[in-house]
Amino acid sequence: MSYFFQLVISGTVVGSIYALSALGFVLIYKSSRVLNIAHGQIIAAGAFIAYALTVWVGIHIALSFLLSMIITFFLAMSVERIFLRRLIGEPIISVIMVTIGLMSIIDGLIYMTPFGSENFSFPEFLPITPISFGGVSMSWTQLVGVIITFAMIGAFTWFFKASTVGISMRAVSDDQFASMSIGISVPKVFGLAWATAGLSAAAAGGIIGNITGLNFDVLHSFGIIVFPVVIVGGLDSIFGAIVAGIIMGLIQQFASGYLDGNWGLFGTADVLPYVILLIILLFKPHGLFGIHEIERV
Amino acid sequence: MSENRWLATGNFFTSYRDEQRIFLTHIDRLVFIGFLVLLFVWPLFIQVGNKYMLVIDSILIAIVAIYGLNLLTGFAGLISIGHAAFVGVGAYTLATFSRLLGSDHVLLTHYWPLMIIVAGLVGAVFGGIVGLPSLRLKHLYLVIATLSFQMIFQWFINFSRFYDQGQTIAIGRVFWFTGKVVRKQHYFFWYYVILVFVIILGFAVRNLLRSKHGRCLVAVRDNDRAADAMGIHPGLTKIYAFALCGFFAGVAGALHAYLWRGVGFESFLLHHSISYLAMAIVGGLGTLVGSIVGPAAILMLELEMENFAEFVGHYFTAVGDVATAFRPLSFGLVIVLFLMFEPRGIANWWRIIRSYFKLWPFRY
Repeated sequence: MSYFFQLVISGTVVGSIYALSALGFVLIYKSSRVLNIAHGQIIAAGAFIAYALTVWVGIHIALSFLLSMIITFFLAMSVERIFLRRLIGEPIISVIMVTIGLMSIIDGLIYMTPFGSENFSFPEFLPITPISFGGVSMSWTQLVGVIITFAMIGAFTWFFKASTVGISMRAVSDDQFASMSIGISVPKVFGLAWATAGLSAAAAGGIIGNITGLNFDVLHSFGIIVFPVVIVGGLDSIFGAIVAGIIMGLIQQFASGYLDGNWGLFGTADVLPYVILLIILLFKPHGLFGIHEIERV
Repeated sequence: MSENRWLATGNFFTSYRDEQRIFLTHIDRLVFIGFLVLLFVWPLFIQVGNKYMLVIDSILIAIVAIYGLNLLTGFAGLISIGHAAFVGVGAYTLATFSRLLGSDHVLLTHYWPLMIIVAGLVGAVFGGIVGLPSLRLKHLYLVIATLSFQMIFQWFINFSRFYDQGQTIAIGRVFWFTGKVVRKQHYFFWYYVILVFVIILGFAVRNLLRSKHGRCLVAVRDNDRAADAMGIHPGLTKIYAFALCGFFAGVAGALHAYLWRGVGFESFLLHHSISYLAMAIVGGLGTLVGSIVGPAAILMLELEMENFAEFVGHYFTAVGDVATAFRPLSFGLVIVLFLMFEPRGIANWWRIIRSYFKLWPFRY
């Protein structure tokens, strides 16, 4: 039974990070209807910036974590300004393909740095002995990671519920023309959506980096796993992304805990999310919490 | 149009039949046939090393694959980031036969044209399956469906004992009327085979777009409700587009397997899908010329990039892994720059040049 609870714990940890990664993706989709394929690369960039600041520059880890979030905030904003601003009004298909191109470009830039080929890990700053409770253990890094994740998610939820900027972002996602007519600058909101997405991506990257170590392939795969998460949760629902993220984390942990090694199956955790994605697309395309505005063809 | 088209001041078609003709004049047809003859005879006169012949063959295979992707993305308006997986399905169809019957079985070595068609059909079936969500969804979601197909394909090959965990599975040398195609003639022989496939399939695409079975794709892309009102089922049309795309990809995969005499997992990864997409965009989405020019441009770029990275690698040994960095960097830049500044691709340059010479010495 403790094995089961161990899987629940690790699934929740992974799942909450998925939720945080998916949050940024949903933000961009919600405001500008762009599927940001390059999200994993932004996550990776945030993690690498945090590492570089901590180890190479020598800033305290909490401060460098914050700094990396701020840097990625402006980085994502400038990405929007340079590449996507001039595509407003173009068919959505070419905007998506620009993000595919961006994914390649950021990949290339990361391969230029040592991060592309080598593995790094953050210095330990928390107690190494894990917290044990009735045979179930959890490391301090995981605990702090989960706490930060939920704090971030709470902050974002408040931001969208209560702050003026958040409300204007929701307005743009609802109807661009109507929000223009009441004086909201739509391009500015798009920029802000990318920037906040970058911020949350950097936070996710930093947490992943602390828990699993810095490996470009791992960080990159967090950007692709975002797709099953957001589809299950509903593409434009922040709450859905959070719930689906945790569900996906649990599913993956249970799959690798119970399925792998039996019936000749291996690596099921890598593929199960995509199988679920295809099934959800076939039978419940708006996901668990998405708005039912998908036009049937 | 019997009078000289070069002196005409505009289009004077008197029937739709006239307008739909592929070759407007006999001169056009002669020029085209001359070009084809040139394509067939040049290897007889110019000696090319195996390395360059391999590049040319790869370009031709990519052209076949891009025919399919262009039908899907350019004409039907559905993005696919799983095209390499579809190509892989074709290649692994041959690998399945090779594993079941042995790599030198008569079916693989003597009846290879049949096998190539079979691979195409299997690709079409898989394309249709991946396209199934389109019965309920619009294109945004289908991107994700193709992505997940790519991931599932990679996982399946990687963990399947039957396919040797993605290790190369050998495919035997094929036979021609004159006997076994030996190593010396291998690339030479496949140049002709692939060229024939490129030409036949090119004509197939061109004719498809003149018929109702091709124009329904464009109708659904441009306005699916209007298409629905005209009696075209948008969902079924999209599945049909995926199946067509899968067929071309499957044929390309089978040719790839025969050319490399083996099927390996590492030729069908996500970044290959992205380079296929780059080929389609650079060539020009929704044009036949584009699907021919795009692969050539991208693969030449790739070749140049390899040389360049080698050159740079000598001087900046400290800077990460330059050779692996340049490939995605150049692809990404090419995709983004073309989308931002020339969304209609190289095919548009071709169109501009042609209309310039057509109107010369006048400007318009």
